[in-house]
Amino acid sequence: MVTESDTESIQVEIVPSRYLMPATAQVLLNEIYKNGGIIRIMIQGPNLPRSVPYGPGRGAPIEENRDLLIEVGGQAFELSVKVGRIRLEMESEKYFNGLKAACERVLPFSFNIKRGKFFHTRPTLTDYAKFGKVEDTRILGLIDPKAKRDKLAILSEEKVTFDDKEER
Amino acid sequence: MAYTPQYYPGSASVGINRRKHMSGNLEKLRDIAEADVVAIMGHRAPGADYSSTHPPLKEMGEPDCPIRQIVAPTPGAAAGDRVRYSQWTDSMYFAPSIPYFRSYWGAINCKGCDPGTLSGRQIIEARERDIEAYTKKQYDSEMTDVALCSMRGCTVHGHSLRLEENGMQFDMLARTELGKDGNVYGIKDQVGIPLDKKINLGKPMSEAEAKKRTTIFRFDGVPMGGKIGARKYDEAVEALHHMWELRSKWGYRPE
Repeated sequence: MVTESDTESIQVEIVPSRYLMPATAQVLLNEIYKNGGIIRIMIQGPNLPRSVPYGPGRGAPIEENRDLLIEVGGQAFELSVKVGRIRLEMESEKYFNGLKAACERVLPFSFNIKRGKFFHTRPTLTDYAKFGKVEDTRILGLIDPKAKRDKLAILSEEKVTFDDKEER
Repeated sequence: MAYTPQYYPGSASVGINRRKHMSGNLEKLRDIAEADVVAIMGHRAPGADYSSTHPPLKEMGEPDCPIRQIVAPTPGAAAGDRVRYSQWTDSMYFAPSIPYFRSYWGAINCKGCDPGTLSGRQIIEARERDIEAYTKKQYDSEMTDVALCSMRGCTVHGHSLRLEENGMQFDMLARTELGKDGNVYGIKDQVGIPLDKKINLGKPMSEAEAKKRTTIFRFDGVPMGGKIGARKYDEAVEALHHMWELRSKWGYRPE
């Protein structure tokens, strides 16, 4: 029998049963941040375009989707998706219960939280096409492979090395 | 005794609601002004003339045809209106009408229309003044819950997505919003162009009421196969199996 070390990092996925409004997302992300032990975190959900993408109304601005600024851990960024899923990697198992408690405190509805493997470890062909040679493997699995580069927003306290972009 | 067709089998609430939708005996829940429905449809400005594809039938002089003599044209066809559409997206989270039942309703109850069902949306095409009347009927009746159903001419997805925090169906283009007074407001037409004024669509249904009025079988609502441990399936499933059998074994020709 193999006993897993409790110092190994764990990956967790949180799926709330409803899409989060930016204000709730901000509170939840801050609670998760306060819980500590985060190596990386990704938020995912349906796209919120700034203007009507196609049809007779193409180009009409969607004011409701603009300036959805949220502040997490002292850094502000603009949401371009409706938050529907949060994946994160944590330093060790000991942060898991705190994370679950944070979700219970913030979310007024049910949610699913599970451990598993959600980020890939080796660069895929798409990663190569998008980033070239990836030196900092933390960015692997953080973005939707189909997403365009301008949709990518990476926040980090340390410098993230890929190409010439940092802290967008 | 006059024959009353039974449109759909089943004794569960979903079967009963499906029959109601198909027969057209629907409860009227709200009254949205005709001009507001026209504005949301977005094909013409309220009060503007209808565009036409041919002169009125009376002026055209129709050929001598027995069918034309039997069938009276709809007002839109008689006036020669253009064909327009209205398209709905209904959430799978217990929206009262799921796409197929809007189509059945249209095909059975609306003259001169062309309903089309897609995986998560439903479109009806008809002459402009006819489709306006049909759309108003759909808006006013229990087929529509203003939070879980909305008119979407493009960027239609929402049917199979989770609801928003406030119980509204997700809409990328934010065509409707839940006001602070608890009413749902239409703020854009069905293709996402902002309206001149907000249109009050009324209060959304409670979750319990939506579950009561829904036409969707769901495991967490009324399951199609009955509750776990049920000794007998609902009649709807038996009828469905029967149809499936006839269709797959004999191509619907039980000779």
